[in-house]
Amino acid sequence: MCPFVQQVRMDNSLQRVKLSVHPSRALVDEEFVILVQNVPPGSPMTLHALHCSEDGHRWEACGHYIADSSGSINAADDCSVGGSYLGVEPMGLLWSLKPVPGSKPGLRMRKKDVQTPMVVAISVFNGHHSEAFVDQVSLASWVVERWYMAPGVRRIPVTEQQLTGTLFLPPGPGPFPGLLDLWGGGGQLVEYRSALLASHGIASLALDYLTNEFTTQTGKMVDNQYFETAYRVLQQHPQVLGSRIAMLGLSLGSVFTLKMAVYSPVVKLRCAVCISGSHIQPVSGGPQEMMDLFTRNIEKINFSEQNEVIWRSLLLPVPSDPSMKADVGRLRCPLLLVVGEDDQNWCTQESAADMEQMMARAGNDHLLTILSYPETGHLIEPPYTPHTPSSMYRGAGVDQKMMVLWGGKTPEHSAAQEDSWRKILTFLKKNLYGGSDPQAIHRSHL
Amino acid sequence: MFRSHVSVTTIRQVVEINTKHRLFSPGKLTPGKRIVGSMRWESSTRPAPLLTATPVRTLVDEQTCIKASFLPSNHPVTVCARMRSDEGDLWQSFAHYNTNSSGMFNLNSDHSVGGSYSGCEPMGLFWSMQPAPGEREGLRLRKKCVESPYTVQISLLEGHVSPNQDPGKEVAAVTAERWYMSPGVKRQEIRQNGLVGTLFIPPGPGPFPAMLDMWGMGGGLPEYRSSLFASRGYASFCLAYVGHKDLPGPSNTVNVGDSYFKAAFQFLQEHSQISADRIGIVGLSYGCYLTLHTGTLPGVKPACLIGINGPVGSSRELLHVNVTTKKSDQDQVFWSFDDQGYIIFKQTSLPSNLHPESIVKLEEITCPLMYIVGEDDLSASSIENADLIEKTLRAAGKSHLFTRLSYPGAGHLIEPPYSPMSRASFWVIKPEKLMTLWGGHPAPHAAAQEDAWRKMLAFMELSLRR
Repeated sequence: MCPFVQQVRMDNSLQRVKLSVHPSRALVDEEFVILVQNVPPGSPMTLHALHCSEDGHRWEACGHYIADSSGSINAADDCSVGGSYLGVEPMGLLWSLKPVPGSKPGLRMRKKDVQTPMVVAISVFNGHHSEAFVDQVSLASWVVERWYMAPGVRRIPVTEQQLTGTLFLPPGPGPFPGLLDLWGGGGQLVEYRSALLASHGIASLALDYLTNEFTTQTGKMVDNQYFETAYRVLQQHPQVLGSRIAMLGLSLGSVFTLKMAVYSPVVKLRCAVCISGSHIQPVSGGPQEMMDLFTRNIEKINFSEQNEVIWRSLLLPVPSDPSMKADVGRLRCPLLLVVGEDDQNWCTQESAADMEQMMARAGNDHLLTILSYPETGHLIEPPYTPHTPSSMYRGAGVDQKMMVLWGGKTPEHSAAQEDSWRKILTFLKKNLYGGSDPQAIHRSHL
Repeated sequence: MFRSHVSVTTIRQVVEINTKHRLFSPGKLTPGKRIVGSMRWESSTRPAPLLTATPVRTLVDEQTCIKASFLPSNHPVTVCARMRSDEGDLWQSFAHYNTNSSGMFNLNSDHSVGGSYSGCEPMGLFWSMQPAPGEREGLRLRKKCVESPYTVQISLLEGHVSPNQDPGKEVAAVTAERWYMSPGVKRQEIRQNGLVGTLFIPPGPGPFPAMLDMWGMGGGLPEYRSSLFASRGYASFCLAYVGHKDLPGPSNTVNVGDSYFKAAFQFLQEHSQISADRIGIVGLSYGCYLTLHTGTLPGVKPACLIGINGPVGSSRELLHVNVTTKKSDQDQVFWSFDDQGYIIFKQTSLPSNLHPESIVKLEEITCPLMYIVGEDDLSASSIENADLIEKTLRAAGKSHLFTRLSYPGAGHLIEPPYSPMSRASFWVIKPEKLMTLWGGHPAPHAAAQEDAWRKMLAFMELSLRR
């Protein structure tokens, strides 16, 4: 149980302070409004957020404000002049959350149980403080819940045909457009992005392709057919519209997204999204061959001054050998690339530039959109969740954990998360709900 | 051809064969090829339309915006809302809209052209709900368990249909949750010093301003207004005084007196998380009388008083709740009955029918008083009582303390906003079933609830926080 601040009577001038946060229950990607009222005009106040994560760590953030002449502070209009974020940042208290001093190094916040909300206590303190909040008495406090799942969204474990995944279905009869959701080299079954996508009307299948049941039991990696099987399972679901399926991959997930989009005779995508990824890969291989490629290039690892592992050069230089990169010139569906220009883990920028060239030469670059964000790192995730510049990371199938540098500066990275998520949702809705079928040109007309 | 019960797979197979009947695409109108009728939306090439409610989880007194997109343009649709009460009864509403030229509609800006309400009503689906046909009669919607939300299924149906007669196919749905408690609000059952009530404390260190909250002769312990006050930053103590198993004496009489209500006020004053000099009292119906009465007890100094549709005094005897025989209850001489046999209590609380010694000495009030009137109140003589309060305070030079809100078309049960109303419901079911008329009509009553709640909170803000 995470302790909140102690309760002690305070002097009268500050007894009337009122703090409200609306809405107090929201989806993780929704904004809220923090309003403080009845403080002495012009007085310095600190807004503070405290969150106890599922794994028991405490995260906090704070913003320093000056009350206006009516004695109010509105985080949507007013500037933070200090603390963990600066400027007019309505959601700063969430995206600038960092582990409290004394925490274990290299933490990363990831919600495992998507059926319960993330609970954050928001408080207002007299004066400007940046630390030792536990020793202070807040003037007022509020509690907000941040949800990954909207009510009515159904969570369905998928284990057929040796798949390890979770399908999230929006409420209603459907049929819904579908999406296959792939994360990166850490493996595990990461559900929170799919839960959010389903809360926006897209039936989303989160797929574990590295630490799935088959691999765990046999020690062997799955092959490319695994992704095709997952696609088929999604396509054949009675509430999924089989002709409107997209793929979204982050990091290593983008490799297989592109492989399927370009080469698979089975997978026919309406559109694809690749975040912090690359097209560089052995074209004819699957996950095992990709891991072998990493192993062969292991000497290209660098280290930061703090001894954090930098993997971004592992796949560089961009090969000219066509068997070593997905031929995106053959793509027939819209592709959205999200690039962090300070990505220290993958050569995302170089890959995106090469893909642009390939598609320009092939004449299909009208299908390509690149969102490129300065000072943004590798882990571009749904908005208003903390930025992780580096963390203790264990790759799938690897025994050892190491401190990995992901990159990015918190304010810019957080802005990128907010902007890219909005654009990803618009892109997906436009292509999955509206628009014409990019594959139609290949269908025979009756 | 493509009616309601064909499965999606079948539709997919059939339409793939027959691309000549490819669907009407919004924004891609091919002149002369427009297809009308029920097969509009069912296709292998288009997903179901997107229906959203933003936000999906709200407090009961917050608005949510219901929108739909990716529909055919200029097309009739029906939106339908359904939910179950804590007792399991089904409540529902529906409204007819037309999509615009972009195939969208938005309840915040568009007009309902039929159904449970008409006109531009962003929250109409919620406040216009009525018990579904076939449900029990005489129902009134009251949340018993305030720690769980109402789950409202909102559906989109093709065309302008009546969900009960010919619902057709649901083409999209969204689920909204309506909560009576914010996260972090603490609920405490209070059974000490003879008091029977529930205390709600907002999150945070406090100390908080507080409200003592009382309802009417229906008895029991309705918690939902107090939990909402706490969700707005006010500690709130809802107090039972009749018809509760933990109270002494028979459940059909009021067996507690002045000391009980004074003790309730003092309980709040002495609470470590409550500011002793910032406590108000609010009451509906008979609770309004108790509000005024308690507020003028010696030693009780409230910071504000709010009375809703209630008398300034009590009738000759304290009211008996149950009906035994018509002769035994002296107040029943004031009851009247409409042509359906529903009781109208209104005359009971006419100032001239009140026990003169019970009439609160309003001239002794020293704090702001807000009185809310439903002009179609059939349960209490609200207008006459408001007039009496106004006259008394004017004579005492205290008009500046008085705020009167009066709502035409609103009935007796002016409750938190966006909740369904009942014009009549069961008063008692034993030894015989008797319905009572509360009054009010849905649209004006809903407007009254929304406006009154906002003004009550603003009044509390001014009186208890500044």
